[in-house]
Amino acid sequence: MEKKKRGMSITAKQKTAGWLFLTPATVLLVIMSFYPIIQAVFTSFKTGSSANMQWANPLTYNYSRMFADTIFQTAMKNTFLYLIIQVPIMLVLAMLLAQLLNNKDLKFKGFFRTCVFLPCATSLVSYSLIFKSLFATQGLINTILVKLGIFAENYNFLGTPTSAKVIIILALLWRWTGYNMVFFLAGLQNIEYSVYEAAKIDGASSWQTFWHITVPLLKPTIVMTAIMSINGTLQLFDESVNLTSGGPANATITMSHYIYNNSFGNGVANFGYASALSFIVFIFVAVLAFINMKVGDTRD
Amino acid sequence: MVRYTIILNIREDKKMKKKVLSALLVSAMTVSMVAGCGSSSSSDSASSDTTETAETEAAETEAAETEAAEDAESTDEAAGGENKLTVYAWDANFNIPALEAAEADYQANVDPDFDLEIIEQSQSSDVEDAVTLAGSSGDYSTLPDIVLFQDHYIQRYVADYPDAWVDATDAEGMDWDNVGAEKLSYSTIDGKHYGFPVDNGTAIFAYRTDILEECGYTIDDMTGISWADFISIGEEVYAKTGKYLLSMDGSGNDLIYMMMQAEGASQFKDGAIDIVGNETAERVIATIVEMAQKNVLYLANDWSDYTDQTIVGDMVAGVMNGNWIIPTIEQVSENAGKWEITSLPTLDGGEGYAANGGSSLYITANCQNVDLAKKFLAYTFGGSTVTYDAALTNGGVISCCATAAESDVYQQGVDYFNGQAIYAKIVEMGTNVPVVEQNDFHYTARENLGNAIINAVNGSDLATELQNAQDQISFAMGN
Repeated sequence: MEKKKRGMSITAKQKTAGWLFLTPATVLLVIMSFYPIIQAVFTSFKTGSSANMQWANPLTYNYSRMFADTIFQTAMKNTFLYLIIQVPIMLVLAMLLAQLLNNKDLKFKGFFRTCVFLPCATSLVSYSLIFKSLFATQGLINTILVKLGIFAENYNFLGTPTSAKVIIILALLWRWTGYNMVFFLAGLQNIEYSVYEAAKIDGASSWQTFWHITVPLLKPTIVMTAIMSINGTLQLFDESVNLTSGGPANATITMSHYIYNNSFGNGVANFGYASALSFIVFIFVAVLAFINMKVGDTRD
Repeated sequence: MVRYTIILNIREDKKMKKKVLSALLVSAMTVSMVAGCGSSSSSDSASSDTTETAETEAAETEAAETEAAEDAESTDEAAGGENKLTVYAWDANFNIPALEAAEADYQANVDPDFDLEIIEQSQSSDVEDAVTLAGSSGDYSTLPDIVLFQDHYIQRYVADYPDAWVDATDAEGMDWDNVGAEKLSYSTIDGKHYGFPVDNGTAIFAYRTDILEECGYTIDDMTGISWADFISIGEEVYAKTGKYLLSMDGSGNDLIYMMMQAEGASQFKDGAIDIVGNETAERVIATIVEMAQKNVLYLANDWSDYTDQTIVGDMVAGVMNGNWIIPTIEQVSENAGKWEITSLPTLDGGEGYAANGGSSLYITANCQNVDLAKKFLAYTFGGSTVTYDAALTNGGVISCCATAAESDVYQQGVDYFNGQAIYAKIVEMGTNVPVVEQNDFHYTARENLGNAIINAVNGSDLATELQNAQDQISFAMGN
């Protein structure tokens, strides 16, 4: 044994060491993530009380069921509405903010960067609750708007379907723009200043510089932030649960929130159906990320 | 892992120091990881409900979590104790004083060594989730000996997790006939009694008599009226004082159930949802929509909006709910003496009686001392006046045991309610509550019908909304 070991080449030794370092994380990942995922696949084909789950008859019952589920369709529409409206606005805002804060002559740069990033340090639940109390019928925003004479009487922001959706989008923008800005800022700092100087000498306006130099060079960052934001928005949960409780009348419920409701809401504990719904979300995320990567990939 | 590092170690000759250091690091990391794994799995059973709590109440502080973890650990220890029982309960202002009263009563009159450990949960759903988790994993050892459980949920949980509960029909010294029939209809499943009653969920209608007076009415004018009359009075009150005569949580709308029960009707018929074509249900829901549109009823966005904004925030001149809402009303000290209670209006006039949202105590499968648990619960919550008198004084918990309600404490007037003997009144109203068909899907129905009402108030067609809600409920019921 000892002799054989001595015969190991340098490469073999390095490989062994590499695997050695990888093992703990891999083992944990398999036990904590992959095993539950596989179990969830089985669960998604079962029905009944979670104490005594039976194979569904037909096996795809949970999957076919969701096509008739109007609440899930509402949740899907809501989630995609957030996605389509919020993600583009947020990414453009983040890019503009990054551009502003990347300005060489800007004073108190560190202070402003901290300010923009600070919302990300807030817990999702706490900021949702703060938005909830801000926009409550007797809340600060209402009081200000009524005192200023803009509204005649208190408006039930969170109780009206359209305004409740708008507030969720506003909350998301507030919470996540700074987070994405940091990536853009890092991306911007990788762009050589000489490129901008050359453009300036050629007489490019700052608008042209932005669209023809900054944006193309930031493409990898844009693709990455877009994938992360799409992924995050499709799994949106805290805001729906804490800010609006999915209401009024499911007008703001998200897919993840509906999955949660099927597992723990109303004492239902319908884990089979909830797992099936989770896999649908998983497929959405995978497909969108794939499209995004294909679109963003400039190599032929 | 460790073996590899030793091999690495032995094989060194050059750069010994560096390699030893890296080997040490690897082994240290491995050991700490393995140790981390081991300890987490060994405390797994104890911490599952803690995790649960943390999930639902993510905003809770770390301190609270630690406390919960300690509590959970002690549950495991407690399970074997000879004279000790553990119980999960929620609401430090209501249920917990009742449990403390029962403990003191049993200690004083039966067994001085008896010990009841009350593990406070932040809300009722924490208990439900604890049972769900234990049932799903098939490991009931995480549960305490006894749990406090919401009446409307128990049928569903007994059906889903039959192994989690203990049939208590034969509890020594328990006279089941002493408990109100309506209360027992929740906790009795297939003729077996599972639950010991705690509070009486009888619904009250509390009015601000000073505001009624301003509009020329008295509490007697509000007693036995029809909902149509109620609406016209409500419009007048809103026009004169700007206060709503009623409020409710729009997302968890209990009005439907209570108003239906007051008519002696149910949203379910023979185990199926029965809304469309059920004349009483359609009239009740149309009435709620009309009230909301005419500013008689304020539909709050959620539960905290209902309690904190509408009731504590002094937006309303009337409150209708289970009598456990009384402590919430009493939070506004400047309105002391201005409230009085009466029965519910009905569709065609006449006094209506209903109940909503009480809870009972259930023995779990993990209880190591079932005989003691049965004896304790039968002695105390089965009708001991000592327990119920203290529960009423300290927590406002009203008994639904006939004998306990004869106690003198129940006859006393309550200052906050203008000296009215509200407890005797509630017990008396409780005897009139009709038993209606219960269903596992009570909360699913409540949610969907509540949504239909919100949509109808916002302008969609009520008939279409009701059909949608009915479809959605039968869909959820698996039909």
